[in-house]
Amino acid sequence: MKRHLTLHNDIQEVPQLAAFIDEVAEECNIDMALTMSLNLAMEEAVVNVMNYAYPAGTVGDVDIDAEFDNGTLTFVLSDSGTPFDPTQANDPDLTLQAEDRPIGGLGIFLVRQIMDQVEYHYRDGKNILTLSKNISSVNP
Amino acid sequence: MNTTIKEQNGELVTYFEGRLDTAAAPQAEKDIQPLLASNGKNIVLDCNALEYISSSGLRLFLTVLKSAKSKGGHVFITGMNNDIRNVFSMTGFTNLFEFR
Repeated sequence: MKRHLTLHNDIQEVPQLAAFIDEVAEECNIDMALTMSLNLAMEEAVVNVMNYAYPAGTVGDVDIDAEFDNGTLTFVLSDSGTPFDPTQANDPDLTLQAEDRPIGGLGIFLVRQIMDQVEYHYRDGKNILTLSKNISSVNP
Repeated sequence: MNTTIKEQNGELVTYFEGRLDTAAAPQAEKDIQPLLASNGKNIVLDCNALEYISSSGLRLFLTVLKSAKSKGGHVFITGMNNDIRNVFSMTGFTNLFEFR
């Protein structure tokens, strides 16, 4: 199974991503709970690119390739924006009280919590983020 | 995504319906402004019809909580489905809120 989607850096296109993930998950017989988790991880990863890769006011693309092979679902996100390695972000401190919790910083953390592997490369002027999830246990 | 606030028994009950994703968050942020302007009243976030939440939605929930706490109010969450409960658990939000 291979599928592709291209979105602009416009958060109003997030529902198109959700529809894409739902289709991919259905094709791989992934249950609803994991489908929602994959939706969440992908929304966070893609929105991060939409919000930060390109200078404000400029239009840019984010390409999403999905592939299911041998029990592993892999998404590859690529964009031509500013080099940024999200795997280097610090984990938030989950033990803080509400007063001390920062408002942001949860997106990339959720990606890392949900996916089994997250790898970043910068190649040929592109940020390439590879996210994979082993789903063989739920999809024998 | 629809966000409706009703005053019930002296509490501000907020009903979230649909998907609170990044695309829906800017409008939801406008819709919850009355909660931020309220004067220490208890707030209930009713999630019975909330299907999905991402970090943009969590950010709104935390903003409401910080605002209420600073005025001595409480924020209660009710009716979360298992998927959303799982997101709260992963992010440590379960420890921040009170649940009904």
